[in-house]
Amino acid sequence: MTTPVYTPPPLDPGLHRLRKVEIVVHAEDIVPVEDVLRAAGVGGWTMIRDVAGVGHSGFHQGKSIFNDHSGLIMFVGVGEAAVIADVARGLARLFEARPGVTFLSDVEVLRSDYFARVPGDLG
Amino acid sequence: MNQMATLRPADTMLSRTEIAGLVALAARTVPPLWPLESAIAVNPLAGLEDLPFAAAVRVGANRFGAATSLPLGQWRALLHAGRIDETRLRDAAVQQLGGLYRACAVMAPGVCALDLLMARLLHLPAVDPHPVPATLAPDVAFLAKWCGAFFDQGLAAMVMPRRELGLYRAVLALAGHDADFRALAGTTGATLLLTVPRDPLAAIAEALHDLGVPADQSLDHLSLLVARMPGWAGHIRWRSEQADPDVAAAAPATMADLLALWALIERAGALAPLPAAPPSGDVTASLAAHCGLDRARLAPAQHERLAAIAMLDAGDLGKVFMAAAEGTWCHSHIPRMRASIDLPAAACPPAAQLVFCIDVRSEPFRRARENVGPYETFGYAGFFGLPIALHCAGDDRRKRLLPVLLAPQHDVVEAPVPGREHQADTIARARARDRQTAGLFAAAKQGTATAFATAEATGLLAGLVMVTRTLMPRLGARIAALTDPCRHAALAPAPQFSLADKVGFALSLFRLTGMPAATARLVVLAGHGGSAVNNPYAAALDCGACGGHAGGANARILTAILNDRTVRQGLLAHDLALPETTVFLAAEHNTTTDLVTLFDTDAVPATHRADLARLTADLDRAGALNRQRRAVQLCRSPEDLLTGAVHWGEVRPEWGLAGNAAFIVGPRTLTQGIDLDGRAFLHSYDWRGDPGGTALATILTAPMVVAQWINCQYLFSTIDNRRYGSGDKTTQNVIGGIGVVQGNGGDLAVGLPRQSLFTDDGNPYHVPQRLTTVVLAPFAQVAAVVEAHDILRRLFGNGWVHLLVIDPETGKARRWASDGAPDDEGRSPVSH
Repeated sequence: MTTPVYTPPPLDPGLHRLRKVEIVVHAEDIVPVEDVLRAAGVGGWTMIRDVAGVGHSGFHQGKSIFNDHSGLIMFVGVGEAAVIADVARGLARLFEARPGVTFLSDVEVLRSDYFARVPGDLG
Repeated sequence: MNQMATLRPADTMLSRTEIAGLVALAARTVPPLWPLESAIAVNPLAGLEDLPFAAAVRVGANRFGAATSLPLGQWRALLHAGRIDETRLRDAAVQQLGGLYRACAVMAPGVCALDLLMARLLHLPAVDPHPVPATLAPDVAFLAKWCGAFFDQGLAAMVMPRRELGLYRAVLALAGHDADFRALAGTTGATLLLTVPRDPLAAIAEALHDLGVPADQSLDHLSLLVARMPGWAGHIRWRSEQADPDVAAAAPATMADLLALWALIERAGALAPLPAAPPSGDVTASLAAHCGLDRARLAPAQHERLAAIAMLDAGDLGKVFMAAAEGTWCHSHIPRMRASIDLPAAACPPAAQLVFCIDVRSEPFRRARENVGPYETFGYAGFFGLPIALHCAGDDRRKRLLPVLLAPQHDVVEAPVPGREHQADTIARARARDRQTAGLFAAAKQGTATAFATAEATGLLAGLVMVTRTLMPRLGARIAALTDPCRHAALAPAPQFSLADKVGFALSLFRLTGMPAATARLVVLAGHGGSAVNNPYAAALDCGACGGHAGGANARILTAILNDRTVRQGLLAHDLALPETTVFLAAEHNTTTDLVTLFDTDAVPATHRADLARLTADLDRAGALNRQRRAVQLCRSPEDLLTGAVHWGEVRPEWGLAGNAAFIVGPRTLTQGIDLDGRAFLHSYDWRGDPGGTALATILTAPMVVAQWINCQYLFSTIDNRRYGSGDKTTQNVIGGIGVVQGNGGDLAVGLPRQSLFTDDGNPYHVPQRLTTVVLAPFAQVAAVVEAHDILRRLFGNGWVHLLVIDPETGKARRWASDGAPDDEGRSPVSH
């Protein structure tokens, strides 16, 4: 018996298949996540501040008005599969010590040059 | 996610991205260290707040080579001085032993376990404090030297070349020419200089692999390297995470740079061994002898008890004293606060209302103010809720006038006051000219060809200035004031806020403080700042809520907003109707001199001139009263405090926030009439106007967090002034314009100087104790707020801050229990 192989549907003209990473962390962990994204060569990302939700430790309140470091934040980044896999490896180290969740998924984008890898640099 | 790492064979090198994650975590070992110009108090163990307090103190002591407690002799001095109540010490000792039953366990006729512990606390010789290394370790000396050169902010005579390459690569490029490096790292180091990757992340990965550090120990390994120089590491964190980009643009540096350099030294086998903690001596025999115990006659259980008490080290004994200090404060004040909740409000309306910063120094001034007339006072964070950065005329860089927990949302420029354009222009030009002259003078003074000529040319003038500063400092200050036009009369911050923003800022004042809409004829918003000359720590005397700057500008901006007719109209939509007769006025309280500057008094209408005159006179009286009180604490005359504020040889212009012990959230009636001795942050709050707990959440997650940082900085700087503080001021040197070092090199100091914490006889003025937060609100309301915020669960649950809640209906006080129960640090000293 052969294992069925998933064949992605053909892309519409002008679309490019890439990978997306979504990361939800405490706002005080913004810098480590940014460092990982930068080191992997992700050229840009979206940050959605003041995310609320329910997790292992109950309901997470949004940020309070005088403290940017309270509450949760969500990062959304898109890149080539190898780059996003590299991000995931870096995040794995991070999540050994800090709470957070990550979602990886396939995504189709217009203008793939917007998501090209940049030389990772932390030094 | 965690499973992904196990897919990797154990002997392969970690990827750059994995190293980036580990480095970012290791960086948390130290908190950011702000530069001197905006000194911000931080908890040196902030990276360990996930641990219970007692555990964090021990981990921190191991990492940083620091003490776990104030030396026992100094705790005893505090007890003998009456700063700690002996009854509370006994209570804390009972808790340390596991409760009354165990404390009363008989050891011999007339001797119980508690007697043994009290003997150790009070009578037996103290355990030796942590040894001070005689010399700087050569690895630290080498790296600190290059950090000093790299991070210099224009003070060095010669700029370090190749800074644009980043710290790691710039040092690699120059270390080969450095005799210190050859002596430190030898031929191995010289070879490594040529072969290590130029990318710091790759270099760290290679080093961890080469050194055989297992992947699961990499984080601890890197954290210990970061902890070797907490000062420079903290400076890098500040540059990376807090500073404006232009600060670091010409000389980029990350924690990866610093760790790559440490890794290079370690690979060269040149890492100095960490100082070992001194072995605690066995006091079993002396303890038994002191208590008259015959060890041969003790039963096994008694032997066990004796050994357990004899084995307590300095950290354990210090923990008991600290709990006693906290209990002393609670027992002195909480019962009076509970009794005050039934007191009626003032019968007559106040002549004026004054809103001060929550800073502990505001409390005695507020009390003095209330004592000289019918005034009502409030406490609010001193940045007045304005998330701004101010561009002062003539300055290159903006000032962030807000807590470091927030990023500025508005850039505000200074603009001339209408009709004072010429004066404003003169001030801006003079400021720019002074800066250029100072730069020119510094360059000439340090130039090899110009140094002597500069001394010849300016020596006489410099000598005159020196004599004036030394012998007649107040005369010098008066002359300077005469020649400099009054800045605040000519320039004012000119924000460009939308009406919605302005209404929001105005509303926050009322919502967070519970200030009623029926305001008095005059409402003063008072920021604060300190005065010090030739003092690297001058900014530490300014307002922490304003990012280590004086708070007058914020007070002026919110005052202008509240006097704006359109804002008053906007407030109506939020059911806040301020009386037409109310005029807001901005002020700045100088905490060193207790003089108060009133701003923009020209704008006060004629109808309020009499109110203003009375207010001004009473401010002077209150200032004099408070100056007198502080003079006693400083063992000086009130006049001498005015001299100290302008004297360049003054090492202790004021006590700053020393003594801070509590953060009180409630209406002024809760504390009115109680002498809190300048030891409490007071944030006004009315639970009745906050059914959802939003205001309380804001107060606890922001102003209280800043207060906790301050509290921890004072606490740890006191228990180990060498590692967590900055040592004696008289042997400090400013380096690079960013921090101080002891002597002529080494790591940046991370905390407060000895003179800010200890009296001249060497005894602590500051009692190192954790913050006690007191909230007047229903228990359920407070519990809901705490449970909803991670930061509060962490601080209260791990025992970094004690939370006491006073129920407004019953007056009962309850304490938030620390997580992980057996509660070895004591239950509520008050009631349940």
